Amino acid sequence: MSREQYQIPTGTQQSFTTGGGSGGREYGVESRAGIMHYICGDCAVRVPLEKDAPIRCQKCGARVLYKERTKRMVQFEAR
Amino acid sequence: MPRREPSEEEVERRKIVGINAETITDVSSTDYPGVYPGEDHSWDLDKIRRTLQIEFHHNEPLLASFSLIGADASIANAFRRIMIADVPTLAIETVYIDNNTSVIQDEVLAHRLGLIPFRGGREGLDKFMKWYKKPDNGGGGDDDANTGYFDYNTVALRLSVECTHNEAAAPGETDPTKLYHHAHVYAKDIVFEPIGRQDQYFSGEDAIAPVHPDILIAKLRPGQEIHCTMHMHKGVGSDHAKFSPVATASYRLMPTIDILRPIIGADAEKFAKCFPPGVIGLEKVTRKEAARQGSGYEGHEGELKAVVRDPMRDTVSRECLRHDEFKDKVKLGRRRDHFIYQVESTGQWDSDAIFLEAVAHLKEKARRLEKQLLEMGC
Repeated sequence: MSREQYQIPTGTQQSFTTGGGSGGREYGVESRAGIMHYICGDCAVRVPLEKDAPIRCQKCGARVLYKERTKRMVQFEAR
Repeated sequence: MPRREPSEEEVERRKIVGINAETITDVSSTDYPGVYPGEDHSWDLDKIRRTLQIEFHHNEPLLASFSLIGADASIANAFRRIMIADVPTLAIETVYIDNNTSVIQDEVLAHRLGLIPFRGGREGLDKFMKWYKKPDNGGGGDDDANTGYFDYNTVALRLSVECTHNEAAAPGETDPTKLYHHAHVYAKDIVFEPIGRQDQYFSGEDAIAPVHPDILIAKLRPGQEIHCTMHMHKGVGSDHAKFSPVATASYRLMPTIDILRPIIGADAEKFAKCFPPGVIGLEKVTRKEAARQGSGYEGHEGELKAVVRDPMRDTVSRECLRHDEFKDKVKLGRRRDHFIYQVESTGQWDSDAIFLEAVAHLKEKARRLEKQLLEMGC
């Protein structure tokens, strides 16, 4: 399976093989199945969200959440 | 037709490009066969050996200025173009970003990193480092993506910075550089990671390092970080400007200023002000000059007259041609075969070495052309 293909982050699945050893942090190990983490737009805290949960920061109640940056290495041409 | 030689005066006259208030005359050279009947202008290596001159005006590692006298514009331009586009340098070509939470986007960061000039041991850069050839695997599977990197064609660099609060900062401090650690990411934060035999060539003084350590790459705030590795390859300026060894490489023609009739007194001072400082000097009219009939200096002994000191400093602004009092008293021009080069190095090469390399490149190109012609077999 190609490394570039989208993988649904579930707990049962093996963690991502990170290209280039980006710290080796493993996604999905700490969370239960179907839980995604987002960044709160107001207080910048990491918010775990379950499927169908209201989009809202548990800490400050803000409704703007951002997707986390990929844990994979990204390659660019310096041009 | 009888063979004849033009007088020296005539040869000099033919070399001058005329510069008038609104027009420019005699732009193209005429020293080739078939222009002047009876004169021999065939190409002659001995003549070039005799007449070609190179004079250095100043020569520093990052800036050289010199004159190439007696060459045709095509040759001078070839050198200039080779210096800009064909002399190879090492520059960051690929950026592998592990994490970048700064406000500067990955693409922009990669582009900025690519433009940073680096220096390193001359021997390693010239002899040890070879061209990197992109593996040609059409689309490319994952297995082949990282092949072809060796110590002799790739230099690895690493940039790892995290911005944190500075607990020791004075209360009420507003300067981000004091308030936080690593608020600014500079070129000096890039670390060279030698692989294989690279530490033989690039160690100590010769290590690969940015020419200017204080180039600002990004600004961070606490919690933001940049982690990336970079690969440098050899490349040429025709591929991308970041590979060009020069900041600028240009030439101009040597200006000529001929004072045809005397410019004396207040006019002389005004005349000198029409030029950049140092171009026109003011001298006193001597008794001898004042005594000579028809010289134009009669009765002006002791007054100031304008003399040409250093035409090379002139910018040829033509300001003097705008004033009626200098009408028909001055003739401006440029020498068509006197090229004043200005070569500004980015730091990887010494500025004079860039020109020498350009000469070697042109020679190599000519040799290749000769080989091709011989292989045509006609």
